[in-house]
Amino acid sequence: MSATNTRRSRHIGITLSKRTGLVFILTALILFTIFVLYPLLTALSYSFFNWTGIVRGDFSVLDNYVTLFTKLPYSEQVPNAFFNNVLLFVGAMVFQNTVGLGLAVLLHRLKRFKRFFQTIFTLPYLVSPLVVGYLWSLMLSPLFGPVNFILKAVGLEELAQPWLGNPATAIWVVVFVTAWQWVGFPVLLYGAALGGIPQEIEEAASLDGATSWQRFREVTFPLLTPAIGTVSVLTFIGAMEAFAIPYALGGSQGSPAGATDVLSLLFYRTAFESGASNAFGTSSAIATLLFIFIFGVAVFITWFMRKAERKLY
Amino acid sequence: MRRKLLTLAAFAAGSAMLLSGCAPSAPAGSGGDGSGSGDDVTLKVWSWRTEDIEKYNSIFDVYEKENPGVTVEFEAFQNTEYNQILTTGLAGSDGPDIPMVRAYGQLQPNIVAGQLEPIDGKVDGLDEIAPSVLAGAVGKEDGKTYAVPLATQTLQMFYNKDIFEQNDLEVPTTWKEFIKVNETLLASDVTPIALGAKDDWILPIFADIIGSGRYGGTEFEKKVLDGSTTFEDPDYVASLQLVDDMKKYMTPDVVGVSYTDSQIQFTSGQAAQFPGGSFEIATFSTQAPDMNIGSYQVPLPPQAVAEAPVTPAYADGNFAINSKSPNKEAALKLLNWFATPEFGQLVADELNQFSAVPGVEYSDEVMSEAWDNYEKNKAPYLLLVDFRYGEPLGTAVLGQQVQKMLLGEQDAAGAASTLQTGISQWFTPTK
Repeated sequence: MSATNTRRSRHIGITLSKRTGLVFILTALILFTIFVLYPLLTALSYSFFNWTGIVRGDFSVLDNYVTLFTKLPYSEQVPNAFFNNVLLFVGAMVFQNTVGLGLAVLLHRLKRFKRFFQTIFTLPYLVSPLVVGYLWSLMLSPLFGPVNFILKAVGLEELAQPWLGNPATAIWVVVFVTAWQWVGFPVLLYGAALGGIPQEIEEAASLDGATSWQRFREVTFPLLTPAIGTVSVLTFIGAMEAFAIPYALGGSQGSPAGATDVLSLLFYRTAFESGASNAFGTSSAIATLLFIFIFGVAVFITWFMRKAERKLY
Repeated sequence: MRRKLLTLAAFAAGSAMLLSGCAPSAPAGSGGDGSGSGDDVTLKVWSWRTEDIEKYNSIFDVYEKENPGVTVEFEAFQNTEYNQILTTGLAGSDGPDIPMVRAYGQLQPNIVAGQLEPIDGKVDGLDEIAPSVLAGAVGKEDGKTYAVPLATQTLQMFYNKDIFEQNDLEVPTTWKEFIKVNETLLASDVTPIALGAKDDWILPIFADIIGSGRYGGTEFEKKVLDGSTTFEDPDYVASLQLVDDMKKYMTPDVVGVSYTDSQIQFTSGQAAQFPGGSFEIATFSTQAPDMNIGSYQVPLPPQAVAEAPVTPAYADGNFAINSKSPNKEAALKLLNWFATPEFGQLVADELNQFSAVPGVEYSDEVMSEAWDNYEKNKAPYLLLVDFRYGEPLGTAVLGQQVQKMLLGEQDAAGAASTLQTGISQWFTPTK
């Protein structure tokens, strides 16, 4: 009881009575149950049956799951798509979140134009990811796009590749475009977390003679652990669920040659485009597996970050 | 006081959100739905041809004039999601009376689920339609006919007549001439062949345009279906090798070029030839109405199995009756109209498509040239016609493999054997 009281007194705000709080929560809970929980459970149940179109057939237990790992094309496409999802996550952590952290730190120290830069960095993710992906695919078109045109004009012809036509580069284009769009997200979150670090700690460190980099490494960064944990979990979830940008850049087949295929694209293809008889069964299995995996890893990361946090206090 | 205000605000916000979540969305294009007494009937027709909505509306105006009391409502949905939208619509209560359905393999799930009405013997004119086209409207298991075929699509090499003239080129009639044409175009600053290899569905089409003659068209189809050969047959592998050989005549790094890019290449005159289906004709005439387009059958390469150049083709789209439709009689009447030369002529004139109904005149030059070539020597677009009855689809596997070939990651033999492995998951020859 005392722990929660201390927590509450650190926050500025209104304290609500239990009843009021319950009303707010209940509304959200009802919407959540109807639009999230119910479809989730029905998808889980669908995956245990054999389907012919939308007519449910016999109870096939784990057949659909076994199909995913033993029958073509799934036995090849599932690991390939999963690998691409992992690549998206690693790419996002390395490019998006580090750049985001760097920008947040720089912005934190900026006196003027702070708001202006914050707005600029968060503008891309206000645009629909489909639009972002589509625009980038137009810009990167080897025939008509401005990117290659500019590279050739500047003399960098070897770089004027068909970025989206080469399997080696296509997935990195997806990583880059995703990072470009979402960099504002870590900037905002880290910016808020940095604002929550008391200034006295930083001042004390510099008084003790720590350099700027030492201050960041020994003081700021450890204190950002909760924020890093949050950003990591959310980035992980976003990378595993990525759909709009890979779809806009590589189409539903994950062109070229499956290099931009991700699990959500595989799900979409199987459920809506394959015309296969058992589309519902197999795609529900994909969706369920994806959910279990994301949930499991997210819980693990959160537990791990809590342990790290506790070391701080 | 503050707490009371907050509680009130919570309730207001909460109920507002709940109500907006539960509000039924206005049904698109509702209006009366055939519940009128006796004579006045509204028939709902669904399709994936969003490009043709206006044209279909004017076609159905003709029918409505001849059949007073009948209103035909035409609705189109996105092509790539149509299968699922249709399946859901047919199972529910607000579905179409007459859905446009896919041909061959993609028709089967709806038949097996009992969603379509068999029409054997109920539609006059079905026996006039070519058996290979009608095959696209038949249930594989029970052999009954479930729909009236709408169109035939033919695959050929389109070419820009003006560019050919500028380079003193004639339509090739031998393989040597074909290579010479492409070499000449390559030497000039025009791309010889426009191909959007980024969208892999175009690749099996290209493979059949170039290679059907090499592997033997209809003969090969028979042999694969009865099991006397497989896709690892050296003739089929050789036909895939031709696709690889053609790579030098395409845009460099062709796997980065999208289908729409390749269409622009052709219609803007940057490319001289476009291997495509007759469904392109309408697009080309809209995008480049002043362009002089012709088409030809790719000549036979050395060691070809066929005796003359072929035009691969397939049945594209059928009209069926929803087994749950409350207006079956009126729907059947409309279906009968779909099998008449009158409708076939409208398909040719308004939609610029080859009608499945025989006896239609094609006034458009490009269309009549392509149709005449087709009538000379036909072949099936093999993977679409016969190899979409199970998962994985033959066209999907070959599309990916040809992409890999064009990227240099796969050779013709490997592509052929991957195709064979893929379709063997569900295909058993019928001896």
